[in-house]
Amino acid sequence: MIDGMQVLDAIQARGLSYRVEGFALSNFNLTVPGGAVYGFLGPNGAGKTTTIRLLLGLLRPEGGSIKVLGRAVPTDVVRVLRRVGYVPERPHLYLELTVAESIRFHSAFHERYDRAGSDKLVSRFGLPPDRRLSQLSKGELGKLMILQALAQRPDLLVLDEPTDGLDPVVRRDALATILEYVSDTGATVLISSHLVHELERFCDWVGVLDQGSMIAELPMHEFKSGLKRLRVSAGAATADAPFSVLAREAAGVGSEVWTVRGWEPAMSSWFGASHPLKEVVDLDLEEAFVELLRSSRAPVREVA
Amino acid sequence: MFEHLNPALPTPLYAQLAERLRAAIAANDLAPGDALPSVRQLAGRLRLNPGTVVQAYRDLERAGLVELRQGSGTYVRELAGERRAAEQAAVSGRLANEMLERAVGLGLSGDDLLNALRSALRGERP
Repeated sequence: MIDGMQVLDAIQARGLSYRVEGFALSNFNLTVPGGAVYGFLGPNGAGKTTTIRLLLGLLRPEGGSIKVLGRAVPTDVVRVLRRVGYVPERPHLYLELTVAESIRFHSAFHERYDRAGSDKLVSRFGLPPDRRLSQLSKGELGKLMILQALAQRPDLLVLDEPTDGLDPVVRRDALATILEYVSDTGATVLISSHLVHELERFCDWVGVLDQGSMIAELPMHEFKSGLKRLRVSAGAATADAPFSVLAREAAGVGSEVWTVRGWEPAMSSWFGASHPLKEVVDLDLEEAFVELLRSSRAPVREVA
Repeated sequence: MFEHLNPALPTPLYAQLAERLRAAIAANDLAPGDALPSVRQLAGRLRLNPGTVVQAYRDLERAGLVELRQGSGTYVRELAGERRAAEQAAVSGRLANEMLERAVGLGLSGDDLLNALRSALRGERP
């Protein structure tokens, strides 16, 4: 995050593979640089949760090697997990405890547990200390899981769809709290989500998983750079274009829409007078993500 | 002053944030000696990567508009009158360029835009 500083990778997985019936993760690499806020994207069922469970030693890979915070997983997983705050997709807390009991219980397992910090978050999140977890709303339970993970003062936060199903106000609160923690500590974050637009503002790395394979992993600014949608006169040839064409579709009379990568403003002169370029539209992360999935699943579709 | 930062624009978020702050400083909405929000506060409030806020503040520091005081925060510096005018002109210039680019992209001419701006200044609504 801070430039000029040499940091080790917080997560390094090489040649990872895993198979269960009907689903396979096939031989991919994943690298989360230290201090990064890494957005782990992919459609539902892409294998994000399975990957996270492998990284945290909750499943054993069939092949490949994993290092988290410099230590081998699963060999050294107990020491690794002391420094990792994990918010799983589904609640992992004892539902018969009250909020206060749950915090007391968790604090006993973590030597760095920040009781003062967790008290502050209880009131900031408006959590009722004496209510049983089974009586909490989904949003309250989500906030409590984030509180528990942060109170451990982790060096690495792993958040699996932490805001899925939460209302927008709770989502904002939760994300703000996480980013304040990152700002205080420089902790590394891996956050998985299919809510792509949510990650666009604060992730500086992106990994995209689709059908059990990593189809892109790069800094956010590179992922988004030069991704454009062009409105072009129908009939222009895409051969020898100085940018790459991910998708091409007819759009109304006499026009086509091209989704391109590697675009630079000077390239508008490549379009001749016979097939002029009509418009250049910026793509946001969500659109870029969708186009990436489309182009990785199928080659460029030519206009019929 | 921080509303509508848009990650879809080609201008990176840190540059958008720096531009908002420049405009606020040039317009004296942020006066000399005023503290900018802490990196932590702004990252949380705007849900930005703290690195993005740091980068925006460094940008302003390099431009001589703010100073980073170790361990205390980031403060707006005293600006000479002509420097303030120059900042305002620069911010307006960039805004005009952005509008012009968008207008051209929509097939409008600079004159179309200028006429629309004149009638807007007269308080006419489209």
